[in-house]
Amino acid sequence: MLDRSIAEHRITREPPVLAERRRQGLATYETAAMPTAADEHWKYVDLDFTMETQSLPAQMGAKMAPPTGVSRVSATVVDGFVEIDPEHPGSVEIARFDEVARRNPELFSAVVASRSDDIFLAGNAAFAGDGLFIHVPRSTAVETPIVIDIQSVSAGTISFPHIAISLGENSEASIVLIFRSSEEELVVAPVVETTLGDAARLSMTSVQTWGRQTKGLGYQRVRLGRDSAMKMGEVGLGGALGRLDLSVDLDGDGSSYLLNGLSFGDGDQVLDYRMVLNHRGRNTSSDVLLKGAVEDQAESIFTGLLRIEEHATNTSAFENNRNLVLSAGAKAQSVPNLEILCDDVVCGHGSTVGPLEEEHLYYLASRGIGRERAERVLVKGFFDEVIDKLPSQSVAAPVRDEVERKFVAAQAAGRLG
Amino acid sequence: MNPALDVTDLRASVGDIEILKGLSLQVPFGEIHAIMGPNGSGKSTLCHVLAGKEAYTVSGDARLDGEELLGKPTDVRARMGLMQGFQYPVEIRGVKLVDFLKEAADEAGIDEDEAVRRIAESGDQFDMTRFLTRSVNQDLSGGEKKRSEIFQMAVLRPKVVILDEIDSGLDIDAVREVAGAVEAMRSPEVGIVLITHYSRILRYLSADRIHVMMEGRIIESGGPELAAQLEAGGYEAFRARLT
Ligand SMILES: Nc1ncnc2c1ncn2[C@@H]1O[C@H](COP(=O)(O)OP(=O)(O)O)[C@@H](O)[C@H]1O
Ligand SMILES: [Mg+2]
Repeated sequence: MLDRSIAEHRITREPPVLAERRRQGLATYETAAMPTAADEHWKYVDLDFTMETQSLPAQMGAKMAPPTGVSRVSATVVDGFVEIDPEHPGSVEIARFDEVARRNPELFSAVVASRSDDIFLAGNAAFAGDGLFIHVPRSTAVETPIVIDIQSVSAGTISFPHIAISLGENSEASIVLIFRSSEEELVVAPVVETTLGDAARLSMTSVQTWGRQTKGLGYQRVRLGRDSAMKMGEVGLGGALGRLDLSVDLDGDGSSYLLNGLSFGDGDQVLDYRMVLNHRGRNTSSDVLLKGAVEDQAESIFTGLLRIEEHATNTSAFENNRNLVLSAGAKAQSVPNLEILCDDVVCGHGSTVGPLEEEHLYYLASRGIGRERAERVLVKGFFDEVIDKLPSQSVAAPVRDEVERKFVAAQAAGRLG
Repeated sequence: MNPALDVTDLRASVGDIEILKGLSLQVPFGEIHAIMGPNGSGKSTLCHVLAGKEAYTVSGDARLDGEELLGKPTDVRARMGLMQGFQYPVEIRGVKLVDFLKEAADEAGIDEDEAVRRIAESGDQFDMTRFLTRSVNQDLSGGEKKRSEIFQMAVLRPKVVILDEIDSGLDIDAVREVAGAVEAMRSPEVGIVLITHYSRILRYLSADRIHVMMEGRIIESGGPELAAQLEAGGYEAFRARLT
């Protein structure tokens, strides 16, 4: 049962823009329906919980051990409650939502903008804990990566972490988002909203290694200003359900978005990627490469829409989704879509779903490489193509290790083929 | 001393279609032999059958340095010392050439320091150093791919090398370059089989013997003068000898 009084109590203490947002979220939430498989957007996903079977975390649960492979963590979010490292890089402003909403309501409203009938987004607006706001002032370059560790730990809860990222005009930063959770049964619906000002440059690497009893329903909203550039790396490895609903608006002329991502599902994991790229400005470009592997009974879904609006002249947009289906019981769906309303564009999309290629295995065999090693080399190479392009290479080694661990386990258990 | 490769009465068929019809061939260590034949004569099939590609019903005998090849899986034959250079080497995205070679070397029991040394040395010799950290065969020109095949063999040092139409689809400069690389691979430890459709590559290396292949058999063997005959009269002149 989600305790409304928690939200209502927060409304009484929060600055007006935040309180109003919460009030609206609550109103929407009360009328929103839980999605079902009949809903096209939620097809293939079985949400075997209801909001009312979960509870809201009352306080920050027990923190997990520090993450491996990253430098100093600038902020930790546990069950939606925020803890900020006072020593975080000085040139960037990192604060809780209420502080930013009080000090700079215009900035807050400009970045924390998304409204939706979606029950999890509405729930997030209504029930989010602290909210974490990251602001890089104009013409500022932050040298060290800003690492945010987003944990969900308390059994039986649904938590709503909310991260807002704002890059001022001509600023530059690199952000690493780590999503983790305990082995408890829980639900987490994090929202990350990113706004890039004109000519801003952001590298963002997101690594999801949720526990195997976690149902994760992630949302990413990106808005790109004129001549801004975002490079994104996206890694999805954990969760019973790992979903990412990603929407990128290339609003500004000359803006660009680059995404390299990977996922690896094993056991009975379901990994669901929903992506919409809206090219609205002129001279914008996007390039998306998502690679996924599934083994055992795991399932992955990719639906990606490239939408080129009427006045988006000189657009370049590419979308590729490559899937390795390693076991007979595993499944991958890939549905790339184009919606082109402008004729001055260069667009391409591709998708593949299948096992390792026999022709590749034969080539390796012809050099004396036995089947087991050949499979391992090819799967490693399949993922290295994207791991090598993750904007933050500090996470590359642990990601590579986890992918290899999953693959070797499948191989050792004789589940390949 | 055993020949590097000793093939006797090799037959191979796919379903009811017999493609190799009793082929015999001997290649001593230290020599380069060219097999020339028109399209469809079974040259690529010979490569595949020797390399152990599945899909063929095979009989006869094929020995590498005295050891039977037939009936063994491809990777085992390669570790015994038989390697083929492909007519169309596949591109393998994400697998870096250097890592690929280290894995192959490790599988062959070559220790890592030695592998690194050979990769550096042969990389230099075949001008492949700048491709080492790129994906295997990806975005390489036709000539570069063929050079990469030879480079890989220089590192792994097989006893028998079979190069399938290593000269096809290359411009004349690339043919000359690849011929030089083949010649550079010659050593007393290896027997080289060069399969080709055209005689032009033979101008840039010295083949010890030429074999003419037609309809699944070697129908004539001789010295370099055979290449000249072929160039003058084409394969038609040999067709009469088929019966
Ligand atoms: N898998 C196959 N199934 C049926 N016929 C085949 C197969 N592979 C090759 N052939 C036939 O065998 C003959 C020899 O082919 P190939 O070895 O590719 O010749 P070459 O390399 O000399 O041009 C051709 O007639 C070809 O069509
Ligand atoms: Mg051929």
